[in-house]
Amino acid sequence: MSGPWSEEAEEDASLLAGTTDVELIKRAWRNEKAAPEILQFEGPLVLRVREQIQLLEETVEESTENGSNDLVVSLYQMDLDRTLFLLRSYLRIRLQKIEKYMIHISKTNLWNRLSEQEKKFTKRCTEIMEKLLEQSVLARLPYGYKSFLKQSISSEEDDMVPEPQLDTFVFCKAKDAVGAFQLDDSGDEIVDLVADDLLNIGQSNLHLLRGAKGRGIVHCKHLLDYGVFVGVPGDNLNYSETSYCLN
Amino acid sequence: MPRFSSPSVPPLSPTGRSFLTAASASVRRSSPPPLASVRSHPALAKCIFTSFNSDLFDQVISECNEHSLQLQSLIRKIEEQNLDMQTTRNEDHFGAVIHHLSLVRNKRCLMAYMYNRAEIIQGLRWKVGPVLPQEMQEKVNYLEEEYFKDHSAAIESYMSEMDLDLTVDMVPPKDPYIQVRVLDDIGEVCLDDHSISLAKHSLHFLRRTDAEPFISQGLMEEFLE
Repeated sequence: MSGPWSEEAEEDASLLAGTTDVELIKRAWRNEKAAPEILQFEGPLVLRVREQIQLLEETVEESTENGSNDLVVSLYQMDLDRTLFLLRSYLRIRLQKIEKYMIHISKTNLWNRLSEQEKKFTKRCTEIMEKLLEQSVLARLPYGYKSFLKQSISSEEDDMVPEPQLDTFVFCKAKDAVGAFQLDDSGDEIVDLVADDLLNIGQSNLHLLRGAKGRGIVHCKHLLDYGVFVGVPGDNLNYSETSYCLN
Repeated sequence: MPRFSSPSVPPLSPTGRSFLTAASASVRRSSPPPLASVRSHPALAKCIFTSFNSDLFDQVISECNEHSLQLQSLIRKIEEQNLDMQTTRNEDHFGAVIHHLSLVRNKRCLMAYMYNRAEIIQGLRWKVGPVLPQEMQEKVNYLEEEYFKDHSAAIESYMSEMDLDLTVDMVPPKDPYIQVRVLDDIGEVCLDDHSISLAKHSLHFLRRTDAEPFISQGLMEEFLE
């Protein structure tokens, strides 16, 4: 019996994963959603996905005009809706991170991770936040305490800037075999990361990492994904919201 | 000896968050229950937001200025005694430090208060659209109202640059069509090149993307059997 979770289907699925743009935007979206700080903007990918969305829209329109089978049209429509959701949600999560950490982002090298439009948005958000705080609080405080970024003139660095908490726990999934990896600076925890394989999920390739280390692997080695897994390892794999998406 | 801190200012953690939550919780308890006849906007149901407390705000500001005056006079006193500012560690120095720290603490409170309110207000742009609901308009001060408009405009200009509306599709789509119930008389609306009459209490089967703007404005709700 070959069920939907047979090894063959599994293999096909993993071959497909990481090859289509929808798969890639899904991964980008998941990483963005689970990462505490803003990640590199996937510019070329977003462009390609938008082209595909346009193509799908044309297909839906054509099929409707041709009087094609309603079921076929609605399947196209559903596929379109899901891709659109991924794209919108991806951009939205990024904007919401910017809203939260705009000053921190503009002051650090996170700035280079933004798209041109996001940079404009960040600048504008900072201006209007500054205007609000300036007019309501800062202008009414005594001399020496009027800074937007510093508590007072005696502060040596900007100590009033909200920053994302990076030292938090994140879920990670190995995309490839990483081998023995030292998680802790003290060297107490060494984890052997094996390649991503859905059948193996119950064994050892889902890890709870401290954010800072997890980020290190995600960025330096490009081997790990942030994930939003829910459920116990060994349970049927559950992607929470992503299970809505068509492959 | 002047008062360092008026009893009206509750203690707080360094970030000022506990001050804010404590303040909003106590205000919420003392406010009268909402009138049953006023239908609350669905997106605001879980949102705890109280009117801008300008009395307390002004008190803290004037306390800041008082601290500053005391601080200045202590510094002058040290200078008049021809003591070195950097090395003097007498009672005037520590008095000045306390005034400085109290001032900085008050500043953090005020900033956190405004900042946290601003976060809630800007979050509304995603939940209810570009117009503040009546019940929120009563609670914000004019600067915050201005902030909402400015921030809203910033999001809109991003969306028009991207040529993509980001305020729809807030939840992952399950089905392209949903059943909705109209909550208010909307009238004749043109959807997807045929017009449809949206009368109060009527049920419709609409494209999800068409229905979402109405839902977020509180004019429709998804009808679940």
